[in-house]
Amino acid sequence: MLELMLAGFIDAIHPLNLLFVFAGVTGGVVMGATPGINGPMAIALCIPLTYYMSPIAAIGFLVGLNKGAFYGGSIAAVLINTPGTPEAAATSWDGYPLSLQGKGEKALRMALFGSVSGDFFATMVLILVAAPLAAVALYMGPPEIFALVCLAMTIIAGLGTQSLVRGLIAAGFGILVGTVGIEPVSALPRFTFGVYQLERGIELIPIGIGMLAFSEIIIQLERRYRDSKKEGGADACLLAFSTKREDRFISWQEFRSTIRTILRSSVAGTVVGAMPGLGAPVASFFAYDQAKKRSKTPEEFGKGKLEGIAASESANSAVCASSLIPLFTLGIPGNVAAALLIGAFVVHGMIPGPLMFEKNAQFIYSIYCSLLLANVFLLVVGRAGLKGFCKILQTPAVILYPIIIFTCIMGSYLGAYNPFDVLLMLFFSFIAYFMKKFDFSHISFIIGFILTPIWETSLQQVVISSQHDPYMFLTRPVAMGLLAITAFIVFKTARGSMRKESKA
Amino acid sequence: MTKQKRDNLVSAGIAAASVVFLLWVIPTFTPPYPGYGVSAALLPNLIVGLILLLSLVSLGVNLFGPQKNTGQEELPDEDKVHLGRLFSFLLPCLLLFPAIKLAGFIPSGIVFMLLIQFFCGQRKPVTMVLVAVCSVGFMYALMRFGLKIPMP
Repeated sequence: MLELMLAGFIDAIHPLNLLFVFAGVTGGVVMGATPGINGPMAIALCIPLTYYMSPIAAIGFLVGLNKGAFYGGSIAAVLINTPGTPEAAATSWDGYPLSLQGKGEKALRMALFGSVSGDFFATMVLILVAAPLAAVALYMGPPEIFALVCLAMTIIAGLGTQSLVRGLIAAGFGILVGTVGIEPVSALPRFTFGVYQLERGIELIPIGIGMLAFSEIIIQLERRYRDSKKEGGADACLLAFSTKREDRFISWQEFRSTIRTILRSSVAGTVVGAMPGLGAPVASFFAYDQAKKRSKTPEEFGKGKLEGIAASESANSAVCASSLIPLFTLGIPGNVAAALLIGAFVVHGMIPGPLMFEKNAQFIYSIYCSLLLANVFLLVVGRAGLKGFCKILQTPAVILYPIIIFTCIMGSYLGAYNPFDVLLMLFFSFIAYFMKKFDFSHISFIIGFILTPIWETSLQQVVISSQHDPYMFLTRPVAMGLLAITAFIVFKTARGSMRKESKA
Repeated sequence: MTKQKRDNLVSAGIAAASVVFLLWVIPTFTPPYPGYGVSAALLPNLIVGLILLLSLVSLGVNLFGPQKNTGQEELPDEDKVHLGRLFSFLLPCLLLFPAIKLAGFIPSGIVFMLLIQFFCGQRKPVTMVLVAVCSVGFMYALMRFGLKIPMP
């Protein structure tokens, strides 16, 4: 086995393979920073490019693309509060306030360190304990998945808004939007209102761009229009960057203070990523919530706390590697990106699953090495590009915003090459504008939307398998435990809100 | 309008919309129960029912709960809805793709970029033209030759 491992590592460090992994990471960072293009889309667009590469180079390139995109999403989130990907939204809660204080470079460094650390942790878990972890995920049946999704939505509903009630209402709207399309049991259209384009359902890209990027641009433009006399008019830059060393770099003390958060969030991201269906946004918001609850100064979260950035980025990057755990061990993709990688594996003559360890062990070890190398390249590319990213943001706002708006529109079109998606993007940006004005969490909306398919499927499986027996949950202790935790969180949050209101 | 009044209006509006959904939209636009498995209307009814309950709770707490000191002042400008500005951005975006169908990607894209820059506050004509031409040209080259995507 040692010989196979060494042979695999030697294959991976071939100069051509290294070049492709580096190109993948660099391309991923650029694409992830662009609103509308996330890791799965980048993989889908670039799979044809890998047809003429060797299997190791191809998978290394695609995985590098995915890793780069996870970090890339945080760049726009931190610097202009328009997350390139939904999972970077939690990063913007502390990243953007730091940028407004002139510490954008520091925030980006923290996002980079969090990303690399979380990814490295999850990659090591993938290498060392992939099989047992996947076996645990298999024990989760429909009742457990249903209860877990209820818990995830309740936790996330309380984030990004001052009111749990409004967060739950927003999540409910997101779920309702998620039911648009073909109903899974009867295979008949539901809520399509006679519009045939809605029969394929609503994609995440138009919602993500509209709610996270486009609506935020409109609100920022409103703010700039209001402050235009004070700001100096049309040539004002989006951000100013401090030149003080302590505002640009992260000190060893600051990094040490975030190590526990990074470790905890990496564990959260690894576990969530190993469970098919939940995804990086859930991991990132869950980790942020936990970091805030465990912090000695939770009131500082949302105002530029480095721990907030570290928690979100390490969790969402950990998902990138851990979503490969069920893929490699069981042939079940952990998320969309892993599902696309199955296609890449098949094109190169490999079938992901337990037999891959017997038939292609050397190839597996090459992939592990490529994953670790991609981490190193991400650190290099991220650090080298920091100044460039900040320079780009010093472009005057009146030049940058129109380019971002145009990119958002074309990004929405890229998802399915359908102009209807652009219409949807504009519709959801309209909805998000009002949600932000009325303090309804658009994040809860998006999470509710993302989790609807897995939630509805698990609910239907529960109802069908129990033959409409409502007491079947009593026979599933894990599911009951998760539902009890959900009820406790709702009760605790409601009590906390009532106490705050009585003091006000 | 005060913040509390607006919150009450929003909660009432959501409650009313939920009732419309429960009584008309869901029964009309969901497929009938096929006789096996679960009804297509189960999850929508559950969720809209929950939304109705939560909005009524929110309304009830605001109207009949203990009076709060906050939320009684007039809404600040940043919390107000500015429909004019919103539509000034949305309208060109809505018209972009029909214009592309009529006139092609590059001319429509350039006109769109000029309009959007104007609404963003740009007043320097040379910069406007440069940014419009470069960004549209780059996007065209990337999509057509780089990614080989079918153009709208």
